[in-house]
Amino acid sequence: MNSIDPVGLANTVLGGALLGGLIALSAVGLSLVLGVMKLVNLMHGQIVVLGAYAAFYLAAFWGISPLLALPIVFVLGFAFTAPVEKFILAPVAKHGEEAGLLTTFALAIILENLFIRFFSGDSRSLDTAFSRETIAIGPINLPTIYLIGFAISLTVCLAVWMLVTRTSFGRSLRASSEDPISAAIVGIHVSRVRWGTFALNGGLASMGGVLIALCFSFTPSSGSEYLLTAFAIIVLGGLGNIMGTFVGGIALGVIQSLGAYFFGDGYRTFVGLVMLIILLAIAPNGILKRRRSL
Amino acid sequence: MKNGISILLSRIATPTRVGPRDFIIVAVLAAIAFAVPYFAGTYQQEVGFRILQLGALAAAWNIAAGYTGLVSLGSAAFFGIGVYTMAMASNAGLPLVLCVVLAAVVAGLFALIVSPALFRLRGLYFTVGTLALAEAMRIFVVNSPWFGGQAGIFLTAKAPKAYDLYWIALLVAVIVVVGVLLLLRSRWSYRMQAVRDDEDVASQLGVRTYRTKLWAFGLSGAFIAIIGSIQALNQGIVQPNGGFGMSWTIDIVSVAIIGGMGTKVGPWVGAVFIVLLGEFLIQFPEIHLAVVGVVLVLVIRFMPNGIWGTLTLALQKKRNFS
Repeated sequence: MNSIDPVGLANTVLGGALLGGLIALSAVGLSLVLGVMKLVNLMHGQIVVLGAYAAFYLAAFWGISPLLALPIVFVLGFAFTAPVEKFILAPVAKHGEEAGLLTTFALAIILENLFIRFFSGDSRSLDTAFSRETIAIGPINLPTIYLIGFAISLTVCLAVWMLVTRTSFGRSLRASSEDPISAAIVGIHVSRVRWGTFALNGGLASMGGVLIALCFSFTPSSGSEYLLTAFAIIVLGGLGNIMGTFVGGIALGVIQSLGAYFFGDGYRTFVGLVMLIILLAIAPNGILKRRRSL
Repeated sequence: MKNGISILLSRIATPTRVGPRDFIIVAVLAAIAFAVPYFAGTYQQEVGFRILQLGALAAAWNIAAGYTGLVSLGSAAFFGIGVYTMAMASNAGLPLVLCVVLAAVVAGLFALIVSPALFRLRGLYFTVGTLALAEAMRIFVVNSPWFGGQAGIFLTAKAPKAYDLYWIALLVAVIVVVGVLLLLRSRWSYRMQAVRDDEDVASQLGVRTYRTKLWAFGLSGAFIAIIGSIQALNQGIVQPNGGFGMSWTIDIVSVAIIGGMGTKVGPWVGAVFIVLLGEFLIQFPEIHLAVVGVVLVLVIRFMPNGIWGTLTLALQKKRNFS
């Protein structure tokens, strides 16, 4: 291993931080779903991939720039996942936590194979006008797209945080997550909150997929990697803590980039996974201050 | 902890009883299966191999998931360990039987190493932890310099004939079945089922839950690795995405759930179902897995005890009413 050069390292750390903040958008909804529905959503990664494909085809057929397509992708993701909860997940909720988990596992298999069938197994990527541009801050060069993605992700995370802490839907959501039976007794329509949360997650995850696809190429089988990354982020940030998720994303981005810097690019995901397992074992509620906004 | 599966399965006669009759049935079925290559062609032997392989895998998974409540999505890690141990050990010139034993030992050691981290996780978190573990193993094998990278390792040993493979798979399947039956006769199975139904209460009653879980997880993993080592012989080349691929986990989970988790016969019913479905859809490989997924969704919703579990429950009800 060659000696460490400080500029390269600073570049890696900053780039990783931006990238992590960007990826955090794909993880925000996962922790809401886990909190409200007590459901480990194993089809989360496939929803992320679906968002990426939606943006890809919107760009290919109508020439809509991926960044402008974000609201459309959100609506598509929301519209796709709402019926999934209502007609597939809600009915099995009475069979217990693991029935829901295994159902989302089955749905992940279905989606992944439909992607392969209809979109082919080719690796795709999203392009914008500034995909290859960089911004120089002193000696450090950062891709413009990382900065834009980071800003979008931060904005959306703040919006979700406002939604959860400042609105009546957010109040119902927090109540349902805390104690669904008591919430139902005081008149909260818990089943509606559940599908609202799941569909919100669908929209957010799809948007996250667009941002990820702007930085990396994706394939129909990228889903499981996205799922595990998202999981590592929410465990780092503390379950149900929305701004914590954002910070957790930044932390994971830095850790992964350092891993890639020191061990080689192939170990980027590996470092994140090993950290996830260790974290789950020593601090399953996250290392940041636990349970604030939920 | 009272998780979903355990609530469901407690309706099936627990603890499972195993008598001499079970061993006789296994012996008769094994004798019939042994004779298959004498009157069936290569194609039938390959289908038979696949059924034996998937059934044994699901039966092994069932030890941890069905009886002990450790629903693992990390089976691919153990399978891959078996595949790679066989490839590396047989290329080093070790005899076949020793390679298989070595695969089991390595898998058991692996379970021992990862258990301190994994067993702190309960229920859903355990499942996610195992999923992460399997992916981590796959990525590690792809990137590390010792395992031949993406290209994998060729087995230098001569590939066995289809009927030899079939008989080896049959032998392994019989070992797994007898192992499961003996386990179910032992005191371990009571401890395992106690841990599954409520870990805290089991611990209060003096069950050493950690040790019980480790035995179940390690034994399940060792059996899966043995079957993996046979798959290495079948393929002749081992690659990270084949050996550690998610597809093995998907196969195992769908076979076990469709057949019936926590039942003796379920995994074999599931294996026959999945393999025949695969043969039926052989013209449409790209929608095959999607169809399996749809079946899985339907089974979890409408037959949460799987095909075999639902049948036994229906028979029990009938008997109770008549």
